[in-house]
Amino acid sequence: MNIPGKKLLLRNEMMLVAAILILSIVINIKSPGFYSFSTLFDLCRASYVQLIFGLGVLIVIISGGIDVSFPMVGIFSAYTTITIMDKLHFSQNGIIIPILMAIVIGVILGGFNAFAIAVLGIPTLIATLGTAGIIRGLMLAGVGSRLIQDLPNGLDHLATSTLIQIRNSGGTLSRLHLLIIPISILVLALGWILRRTIFGRSIYALGGGIESARRLGIPTKKLQVRIYLLVGGLAGLGGLMSVVLARQADPYSLAGSELDTIAAVVLGGASIAGGYGSVFGTVLGVFLIALIRDNLILLGISGSWERAAVGALLIIGIVTQAFIRKMKKRETQESHAEVQK
Amino acid sequence: MQQSEFSALNISKFFGGVAALEDVSMTIKSGTVHCLAGENGSGKSTLIKIMSGVHSPDKGIIKLGQTEFKSLTPITSMMAGVQVIFQDFSLLPNLTVAENIALPSLLQGNAKVVNGREISKIAKSALEKIDISLDLQSYVEDIPVASKQIVAIARALNQDVKLLFMDEPTTALTYKEVKKLFLIVEQLRKNGTTVVFVSHKIAEIQEICSRITVLRNGQVALEGDMAHLTAKDISSAMTGIEISSSKIHIAEPSAEVLLKVENLSSDDVVKNVDFELHRGEILGITGLLGSGRTELAECLFGLKKITDGKVIFEGKEISRLSPPKSKKIGIGYVPSDRLSEGLFLNQNILRNLIAATISNYRNSFGLLNKNRMRQGGQKWAEIMRIKTSSVDAPVTSLSGGNQQRIVLAKWLATQPKVMMLNGPTVGVDVGSKQEILSLVSEEAAKGIAFLIISDDVPELVQICHRVLVMREGRMVQTLKSDEIVEEVIYRELIK
Amino acid sequence: MKQTFQNILKGQKKDGSQSQLFILTIVIFSAFSILKPHVFFTLLNIKSMGFQIPEIAILGMAVMLSMITGGIDLSIVSIANITGLTTAFMITQHPASTGMSLNLWIAFSMFIGLLLGLLCGVVNGFLIATVNVAPILATLGTNTLFNGLTVGIRNGESISRLPKQYVRIGNGTFLGIPMPLILLLIISILVGIYLNRTGLGLKTYLVGANRSVARYSGIEDKRILRITYLGSAFLAAIAGLIISARVASASPDYGADYVLLSIVIVVLGGVSPTGGFGKVTGVIMATSILQIILTGFNDLSFSQFFYLICQGLVLITVIGLNISRSKNPQKISTYVRLRRN
Repeated sequence: MNIPGKKLLLRNEMMLVAAILILSIVINIKSPGFYSFSTLFDLCRASYVQLIFGLGVLIVIISGGIDVSFPMVGIFSAYTTITIMDKLHFSQNGIIIPILMAIVIGVILGGFNAFAIAVLGIPTLIATLGTAGIIRGLMLAGVGSRLIQDLPNGLDHLATSTLIQIRNSGGTLSRLHLLIIPISILVLALGWILRRTIFGRSIYALGGGIESARRLGIPTKKLQVRIYLLVGGLAGLGGLMSVVLARQADPYSLAGSELDTIAAVVLGGASIAGGYGSVFGTVLGVFLIALIRDNLILLGISGSWERAAVGALLIIGIVTQAFIRKMKKRETQESHAEVQK
Repeated sequence: MQQSEFSALNISKFFGGVAALEDVSMTIKSGTVHCLAGENGSGKSTLIKIMSGVHSPDKGIIKLGQTEFKSLTPITSMMAGVQVIFQDFSLLPNLTVAENIALPSLLQGNAKVVNGREISKIAKSALEKIDISLDLQSYVEDIPVASKQIVAIARALNQDVKLLFMDEPTTALTYKEVKKLFLIVEQLRKNGTTVVFVSHKIAEIQEICSRITVLRNGQVALEGDMAHLTAKDISSAMTGIEISSSKIHIAEPSAEVLLKVENLSSDDVVKNVDFELHRGEILGITGLLGSGRTELAECLFGLKKITDGKVIFEGKEISRLSPPKSKKIGIGYVPSDRLSEGLFLNQNILRNLIAATISNYRNSFGLLNKNRMRQGGQKWAEIMRIKTSSVDAPVTSLSGGNQQRIVLAKWLATQPKVMMLNGPTVGVDVGSKQEILSLVSEEAAKGIAFLIISDDVPELVQICHRVLVMREGRMVQTLKSDEIVEEVIYRELIK
Repeated sequence: MKQTFQNILKGQKKDGSQSQLFILTIVIFSAFSILKPHVFFTLLNIKSMGFQIPEIAILGMAVMLSMITGGIDLSIVSIANITGLTTAFMITQHPASTGMSLNLWIAFSMFIGLLLGLLCGVVNGFLIATVNVAPILATLGTNTLFNGLTVGIRNGESISRLPKQYVRIGNGTFLGIPMPLILLLIISILVGIYLNRTGLGLKTYLVGANRSVARYSGIEDKRILRITYLGSAFLAAIAGLIISARVASASPDYGADYVLLSIVIVVLGGVSPTGGFGKVTGVIMATSILQIILTGFNDLSFSQFFYLICQGLVLITVIGLNISRSKNPQKISTYVRLRRN
């Protein structure tokens, strides 16, 4: 039940919760009616894709690495899946097969990363930079570059399936998307894996120090392979969900979103150096960014400022984290003063 | 009757034609605390790495219990019960105490799922074996050094260690903590674990070890029971020469006060320190770990904030020190850890030599005169008698002693008035040590004042005009000329 | 084609060695010239490369500066866009009523644009040197913020129809040599002098080699970092001017891919991502190599997506070779190092 840097994270996560609460209260004051199921459901829907990607990013960052290839892996997997289904005309009504297909393709692509990082020993940023380019090029050159607007029936249906429908006082419908279920399961499962399995603890160990982890007997290379395969699968899933929710497969979508997702994960408390981070924090980070991004209008700020708001939020978050770290360091140093040289 | 359970027999190891170990045999009796001693470069680390499977010997065999091995791997040695605790402990700072202790054995057991309670149980029983209790849920990065060491020991215990190597375990411990460690080691011994205590500190060796093997230049210089050996036997075996505490000739310091420190305090680590430093004087500052001696130097150099008191240099009070400012005023500092604080390990010798004096090589346009810089570097390399073919060689190609001289040269080049040296001869071979001390005396004769922070008592005796003793942040004793004798200093330290 | 290229790569003895890169440049250039002499090896083609190479090379130099100190500046593209946009905006606001000539106004606008870019550099320097935020994180945040500000202020619109006096900077020639190329030459010489012949430059390398040791040696590490990020912002700003002049328009989102491309160039050009080394000529040659490949592929009617694949392959192959050859494989992720400083 241990999350490294618990005290630090707790402070960080609490601050995120506080930020979310304060922000939503402010928005509600400015624009009453904000506190409604409709908002909550919309917020959820807006977070799904980034959350799935974010979980993958979290795992890589905890292990001490960084992955910038996941949007490409995602869109490649999704686009290829849709294209294959199109060309081969199968499983038009199902959703299990396309989901599995996207995940499998994602895992295979994750294998590229695993090879470059674990086998060739290339630093993670560079390796994933390279694979991102290769994957993007392969997709656009090999699979296709046109926009696909007709999704197979099953997936299209998924895009509009709701779990709960609530009729508001105004007569409109608030819809909670069906995806909330599988995504919640995913979040809980990954959280459990990170906290309660040897695999999960080894990921933290790897982030704590690759040499120390190795001396402990952790098979670091095998572990890295498993990490990048897992993250590839997650990216594939995320890509497909992104296509489903957008109701079209655009091979040029998702490009450039890697830095934003990394930002959300870092905001959620993961340390860029590795060894720290939690699923809960990532959920909060993604949520907070979605909150700001999609509700600026309610504060009277036009939508074109959304990126700037996210940027400002990010900087505030990073600076705050830096201060907390500095204070914590000072606390530790003072209590060990007599022990030091 | 199996008296000797672990031995290395006739081990030789060559690295690129150079013998790191030559026909070395070491016999460790089970259930004892055995000392492996030697200076840097003696072959100690190579021997440890061979016994723990990191290297394979070119000749000789390893005998663990009944089994003979031509060579080991990290896994086979671990399975045979050999564990090494290195100086950095190899712990994971971002995991808890319990996890650090329990994870390795769980990993080997092919467990998939982790139970918090199970981990705590495993960790607790390991700690109980040495009669210690720690907060199992605290993170290793938050606990003090002594506790980290205990975690490392418990981790080894958890893996059924039979032969435990502890590499320089007391380096970062205070006096009290060393005592506690000895109790733990004794407990380990009673439990049947054999401990190899790797150290060069003779006082400690005498207290805790029953047998000793001394390596020098890759060969065994001495092996025997501690009961039959004197401190002199051991130290001369380690260094190869008769250590005499003959003083190096030091010139009389002038009466002029260069640096005056009044009531200096820094947080809780340095408390109300007063002293004066004269031109040409060599002032030793000693004390146990935790006494604040390093922090004192850091305050004078501008690395640590001064919270109270005054620093008066050449009659003028100076405040808000920073390293660049101190350098400008004429205060230089050679830090204690040359590898992480003194040298740019991935740069060449030249760059390391001129790192503090870059501005001296500017021409009238503000550009660097590279020729002059090179000449300057070569000049200093010659002055310090650094053995190298070229100043472009990487600094890592030099021995510890030569590296230390580079850090010294870097600061001497700034033409300082006060030079602070922290542990100037740690990890330096005997020859270099004497050369460095001679150099200090020569420069002092020219007028530079030295502040030497050291716990190497013979060194202090050899070279200092005065010795100040610190304890828990305060200056407690001043020793002058005749008082600077080994016994007196040891007595002051232990008080 | 790719076969030959990879064989050339395998013949490379030491990545980063300047002569090796030079040979590679010549070889690749010759290869394409032989393959398509009438299309590739023409003055027009070479000239067009001469127009395209400088902006990317200068961005590469900006990243190089930050990488030498062991950090990374992810905000260069948004800084370039801020500069380009500001300059373009001001130019279009030329007050015809005053007697100021257009050229003078253009010069003034460029000055203001550069100033704004420098301001961004000050922000970066503050976050990194004073607040002590990890460079990758700080510039991630500022990149989002700067980008967001430009989008917000302009509502996402770009500015086009710039006067030809300005456009000439990016498209004109002087004595037959493309103007951007002349600028590149001047800038390279200045940056080269800075890094290799000034005290500040040497100190920059030392801070990158080991920030603590630099501090212990009496080097003002914070000041050096601030200057470095100011410098990289300045270079990014100049690149922004060249881009807007060449493309004759300025948009908030131009060149989103360029950040990662710049990292590719810098790494290829021999700057170690863990700081301490780096050469200007290496960056230029690496840029040229990639640009030659791009143009060559175009002329060979290869899909432009092959270029993407090639970029990724080149990166991974070269770094992989580098690592397998060096005695100390740089397995430590860049970002561990970035944080520890």
